[in-house]
Amino acid sequence: MKVLYAEDEMQLSVAVTEILKMEGFDVTPVYDGQQALDALDKDYFDAVILDIMMPKKSGIEVLEAMRGSGNHTNVLMLTAKATVDDRIAGLTTGADDYLAKPFAMKELVARVQSLIRRNSDYRHSVLHYANFELNSGTCELKTDKGSLRLNNAEAELLTFLVHNADKSFTARQINESVWNGKESPEKAELYIFYLKNKLRQIHADANIQIAGDTYTLCEEES
Amino acid sequence: MKQQDLAFYGEFAPKLEEIQALLMNEIQSMLDSISTDSETAVAEHIKCRIKDADSLREKLRRNHLPETARSGLMNLSDIVGARVITHFVGDIYTVVELIKRNPRWRVEQIKDYIAAMKPNGYRSLHMLLAVPFGVGGIDEINIEIQLRTIAMDCWASLEHQLKYKKDIKNTSLIVEELKRCADEMASTDLSMQTIRDLINRR
Repeated sequence: MKVLYAEDEMQLSVAVTEILKMEGFDVTPVYDGQQALDALDKDYFDAVILDIMMPKKSGIEVLEAMRGSGNHTNVLMLTAKATVDDRIAGLTTGADDYLAKPFAMKELVARVQSLIRRNSDYRHSVLHYANFELNSGTCELKTDKGSLRLNNAEAELLTFLVHNADKSFTARQINESVWNGKESPEKAELYIFYLKNKLRQIHADANIQIAGDTYTLCEEES
Repeated sequence: MKQQDLAFYGEFAPKLEEIQALLMNEIQSMLDSISTDSETAVAEHIKCRIKDADSLREKLRRNHLPETARSGLMNLSDIVGARVITHFVGDIYTVVELIKRNPRWRVEQIKDYIAAMKPNGYRSLHMLLAVPFGVGGIDEINIEIQLRTIAMDCWASLEHQLKYKKDIKNTSLIVEELKRCADEMASTDLSMQTIRDLINRR
């Protein structure tokens, strides 16, 4: 796992680099904002740690440039002034997490690990429920008895239902929660029926139950 | 039947043609019992055929059986076969029920590769039927009806064509991609079935 670490305090940089290496990370230390941008241009990283207060370019400026150029690598901001404004500035620019100095080394390591885990969750997560699995990368829905390919909207809906299994939702709530209200309750209803039939077809031990105008994903023997 | 097939099947040929005609007529009248209106017809089309001599010989050879018509009739179940292509998945099971109830034959076996697809993605429902024969000391033979949707048929015919091209590179990639296509088409089949159910409910 490759980590870029931008920090101008030399002593701190040496200590943090050493500890991250001991935890198995491949760390590239840089010492100002410009070096950080150069490194990001040349190389791929799984996570980036940026100090806010740095010479040449601040952590916020580096982050702005990264996001502006379409780089969405997860970023952890380190801030000396742990003021609320500072933290908000980092998060609104697109930081994924922040840590106030002084920090415990253990916490830094845990937060970097959490950032990287989010990457892999996003890229190829396989969701399991009852006896079926849904691969979010390929939209393949399968059990050991059958498989089907869902379209994106179906996969999004099923992912939501798995994360909220046993809870009941109306078509309107589904449209709001899954598609930010951009589709329609009618579409949510139709897609529920698609998924009901598709779960049955692959012999899933799960069903979307309909009670009045609410829908609930539950385990149910096929 | 072609000249070479007539020669191969010999004394059995007239009876086989009779069974083929019976199969075609029975299926057509069962379908007509549901609807004679082309707008709501269950089947897109039906086909019947008698296995040609070359492919029968080839299949017997593969199974280490004597390469004669008699051996084929005694051991194989698809000498006479029909294929019913439906619009929707649900229609297949409607037709299965009608075939089960028909007194002209006895259902020997149902292989539902829709509920349990083959590993390569093949989906279809096969019914083995025993029909009276009574020629050359053979009392009855097995015949086969395959039922599938247009989408399943579309996939199966493409897969069939590719199977006989021996020089395809990236075989494992092709196999994997064909399976993905089958899964996508099956998914679409179910979406269309669901849409029809919703329309009919209203």
